[in-house]
Amino acid sequence: MSTRSLSKGCFVFKPSPKRRKVSRTTADYFREGNSDLEDSELRFATCQSLQKQVKSETEQIEEELNEQLFDNLVSFLRRSHSAFQEKTTEWTWRTKSREIPTAALVLGVNVTDHDFTFRSLSEVLQNNVTPYIALLEAKDCPGIKNLMQKLLGQLMNCCIDVGSSEEEDYEQVSHTRVRCSMTSLINWYESATKRTDSETPGKKRTSSRHWQSPPVVVIFKDMESFTTKVLQDFVVISSQHIGEFPLVLIFGIATSPMIIHSLLPHSVSSLLCIELFQSLSCKDHLSTIIDKVLLTTQFPLKLSEKVLQVLINIFLYHDFSVQNFIKGFQLCIVEHFHSNPLSILCCQLEEAKRRVNSLSHNQCENVRRLPSFRRYVESQVSEKQIALLTADSSLKEAVRKLLEDLNVYHENYFPILRCLHVFTSSLPKYPLGKQIRELHCACLENRVWETEEYESSLQLARMLNKSDLVTMLQKCVEILVSSPGREFDEIVERLKEFLTQFQKLEETYQERDESVSPQKELQKKTNLYNLQKTLLELKESRRSKKLTKFEMLRFEVVDYIDSLVRRYLVPADHKTLHEIVYFNTASVLREHLNAAPRIALHTALNNPYSYLKSEALKSDGGSISNKAPDICIAYKLHLECGRLINLVDWLEAFSTVVTAAEGPTADVASSDQVDDVIHARFIRAVSELELLGFIKPSKQKTDHVARLTWGGC
Amino acid sequence: MSLAECRSAGALEVKFVPDEDVLRHIADDAGVKVQKGKSQLIVNTKRFVKKLEAISDDEAQEILEEKNYVAVLGLCGEGTWGTGTYHRCYFGRFFLSQRLESESEYSASCSEEEEVEEAQKEVSTVLSHQKTPAKTKAVSTPPSRKTLTKKKDNMNNLVEEYFEAHSSSKVLTSDRTLQKLRRKRLNQQTLHDLLQKSPLAYAAEIKELNQQYESLFSKWMLQLHLGFNIVLYGLGSKHDLLEKFRTSMLQDSVHLVVNGYFPSITVKSVLNSITEEVLDHIGTFRSPLDQLEFIMKRFKEDSSLELYVLIHNLDSQMLRGERSQQILAQLSSLPSIYLIASIDHINAPLMWDQAKQSLYNWLWYETTTFSPYVEETSYENSLLVQQSGSLALSSLTHVLHSLTPNARGIFRLLAQYQLENKDNASYPGLSFQDFYQQCREAFLVNSDLTLRAQLTEFRDHKLIRTKRGADGVEYLLIPVDDSTLTDFLEKEDEDV
Repeated sequence: MSTRSLSKGCFVFKPSPKRRKVSRTTADYFREGNSDLEDSELRFATCQSLQKQVKSETEQIEEELNEQLFDNLVSFLRRSHSAFQEKTTEWTWRTKSREIPTAALVLGVNVTDHDFTFRSLSEVLQNNVTPYIALLEAKDCPGIKNLMQKLLGQLMNCCIDVGSSEEEDYEQVSHTRVRCSMTSLINWYESATKRTDSETPGKKRTSSRHWQSPPVVVIFKDMESFTTKVLQDFVVISSQHIGEFPLVLIFGIATSPMIIHSLLPHSVSSLLCIELFQSLSCKDHLSTIIDKVLLTTQFPLKLSEKVLQVLINIFLYHDFSVQNFIKGFQLCIVEHFHSNPLSILCCQLEEAKRRVNSLSHNQCENVRRLPSFRRYVESQVSEKQIALLTADSSLKEAVRKLLEDLNVYHENYFPILRCLHVFTSSLPKYPLGKQIRELHCACLENRVWETEEYESSLQLARMLNKSDLVTMLQKCVEILVSSPGREFDEIVERLKEFLTQFQKLEETYQERDESVSPQKELQKKTNLYNLQKTLLELKESRRSKKLTKFEMLRFEVVDYIDSLVRRYLVPADHKTLHEIVYFNTASVLREHLNAAPRIALHTALNNPYSYLKSEALKSDGGSISNKAPDICIAYKLHLECGRLINLVDWLEAFSTVVTAAEGPTADVASSDQVDDVIHARFIRAVSELELLGFIKPSKQKTDHVARLTWGGC
Repeated sequence: MSLAECRSAGALEVKFVPDEDVLRHIADDAGVKVQKGKSQLIVNTKRFVKKLEAISDDEAQEILEEKNYVAVLGLCGEGTWGTGTYHRCYFGRFFLSQRLESESEYSASCSEEEEVEEAQKEVSTVLSHQKTPAKTKAVSTPPSRKTLTKKKDNMNNLVEEYFEAHSSSKVLTSDRTLQKLRRKRLNQQTLHDLLQKSPLAYAAEIKELNQQYESLFSKWMLQLHLGFNIVLYGLGSKHDLLEKFRTSMLQDSVHLVVNGYFPSITVKSVLNSITEEVLDHIGTFRSPLDQLEFIMKRFKEDSSLELYVLIHNLDSQMLRGERSQQILAQLSSLPSIYLIASIDHINAPLMWDQAKQSLYNWLWYETTTFSPYVEETSYENSLLVQQSGSLALSSLTHVLHSLTPNARGIFRLLAQYQLENKDNASYPGLSFQDFYQQCREAFLVNSDLTLRAQLTEFRDHKLIRTKRGADGVEYLLIPVDDSTLTDFLEKEDEDV
């Protein structure tokens, strides 16, 4: 069946039922794309399990991060709800009753992440507070009528979840047939609560989970996108009925809480009793994710500096979306396992060691081909070299050892990185970056101790005051004690020693204090000449003076930290076999996640040689290359024009260029009569340019087209 | 012009070079433009005045900023003010009409620096004397007129230049038209034949490119299955590539092909083919949103359902709307719907905001194929192709065959008259009265009313168009080009 038709634009193809059964699985596609078939199944399994791990880990992190916010929200609901339940103080209730309790939830600009937050929020509320939750989105509610419809529909559906199956026939009444008004909502609420109340003796589950007469929670996911009128109407109408059923609103806000007041006039916003809730900013969120996912030894796959930089740039300059960051990371996992045959060893150390044993000869060759492994071989003695390059068994032995080394390296790397971060993050102007991710990138990029920034941060660290230094050292000790690294006992010991030395210094200082003060006394009573003299003397003495004990100690501490950095923060690509666990093709990632279609189009039109590797296109003279594809010629000619382009002139220019290509054989006689074929080619080029959006027909002048691009593309 | 530079620079650096030249080219013609842009300048000035008023309504702290602004204006326009006496005269005139008091301060002879300073002073004084709005309006104009003229000469403000270039209606192109080319417009068929004849350039290289992309097929499948959707971009038709993907990878699974370039494609038809043909659902939906909800529900319930959707030209005219994209994005976000689409328009990515992009979950693949857009442009009403051509002729004859001989005669009369006047560029059409007279003479109608009834019928079939002239007389026109009309008359003659 063809997909070309004059009367249809959609074509459905269904395979015959027999053939449908032999559909292929994801693993098959994984295998198919690979040149070497062996191990691909195992690789795919490893990839999948790693993906799953990352997914569950990130979800858990997010849940933890949101926990605080949700707790606050639930307690807010409880507070606002208690007012409804205690109707005893009748009078105060009446006066207050016009106000709808409202939670303004400031979530930040990363709108795409909100979905997840709202989903877990409604889950939490459903589990702990109330079954009656409605999630409204602006695109579903162009008018108050649609809003009410949506609201009732969602509320009545969620009631089914709670209600027993016997009552379903009642619930089956389609909400579309019910008149969607506040009264019907109230009636529904009353009947629903009555029913659950009567049920409670039989069904303890519901009563224990939810509160008595649970509140109706209406969540506006994207408050800013709602039309003002709809919001106003809804607030005004529901405030009329707030006495009759407990309504609570939650506004999801992406910008700032001020938006409520600019969207709603005072008369309306005064009907709301707004409390503000702030979610964790997406930046902190990202830091946590990076901290818990990337800067641990938990996941075998690591990202190289460039890849991480691409992901962070997408986050910072494009969307602020943590979800997208995670998606990017997931893509890295797939790409790594898909493209690298040795990624089979990218798993936990014990497993990897086991897998090394069963490596095939081909895979061993792959290992030998790794640049880092070659460097390693070259550094060995010649007999060892021969053994490594010829005997698989000795290679496997070496790989096992190297993998272990790599693992140890990572175990040491991260805690030391954190220690260094403790120091650098408190320096003025943050020469090595404020965030640990910046420091991490700097360390991965090249030897960090050779950089200027590191030098200046050491300088600054040598000027830290004592209390700061002590707290930092204490923090470092904490980090190192809690980390699993094996070599840290010694370091911790040393740091603790420093701490006690500082302690001792303090005691000696107190003694010395008294001796200093009389000297100062003396200075106060001198005349100008004497003062100058003493000052000069002081200056002299300071220059020649030996460093104080504290300064000595400080130098020692900084030097020690420096030595730790030099020892443990070696960039990963200096490590042998780093290719196995580091994903470093940043270009792939950028291409697929952050593509630049306009640049691609422009390059193709402007310099077809970059795609079509033909020698004819290579010669780029000063004029328009007449051998280029038609569309390129037409494009370049159109670049020379202003806002409007005369088609006739364009055609003439085009045919001039094209006939020049065909040589002088073209007869001069028909110069004003353009060849039919060239005319046709020109028409095609122009209509293609129109499809691409460079020109459009214009009515300003006959046979003219308007140029749509300005400033190139 | 700047093609050499354009060429030698890399893909990225190219950007502004040719356009600045173009700009200069346009700016050379500033004299004309000022004349033309007169009304626009006034509008701008007024806008500025409004802005100042708004500021004066605000707190006094804004004054400082405003001062800075004026100072900046003074700086950026240093020494370039006054491209000719013309501006001054013009502004002088303009000013007279605007100014209410203190006219002598701004004679055209005062030097620039003074003017800037004075303007600065004026603004601050104006802001401190907020109670006289009339004065504010009158006095606060100088900085604005300054900026407008000065920026004209400064090449650094591209944005300003852009709007300036686009504000003028004067276009500097030759007046030649295709008619004068002594060449018949090609129709679709001959165009197609001609293009078939001419060999495709660089076929070997293009084939190589395509093979390169075809090796990615299984990777695409893998990524589709892992929850991503794939979008292809780059120059050249991706129709054949996708078609190949479909035939090689999707034969064993349910899939839907959507030709986005099809002129009457709608999201509704996409949804319909899913509900009717894939899900075998009989029944209608009140709105596309309902339909979408139904589809989502079905796909979520039944995890064995899988659907591949191929969309050629997701950015086509019919699908690029916000609502269509929203629905398609939501559809693609279903885990068991795998979407692979192609885009061509340079601004296609602008269709998607963050929310839609995250729904689509795109992986971008560059597939520059250089293949001609045969399918995609085949429906397009191309600029140069003789459009109405054969289609209009056949419809004309069809409609007229169903009419009475008298009616046909009436139409013939009108057609002949129009052809007689085809060289008259300002031919308004045949006036109703004249037409009635002619029809009477030819014994075709006997009353005003019968002719009117006949004309209504023509109009319903879109055979004629009526237009009221300046004098209120009704003119009749056949909205078909002359060659078609000639063909039509010839054919009629044969039939008779």
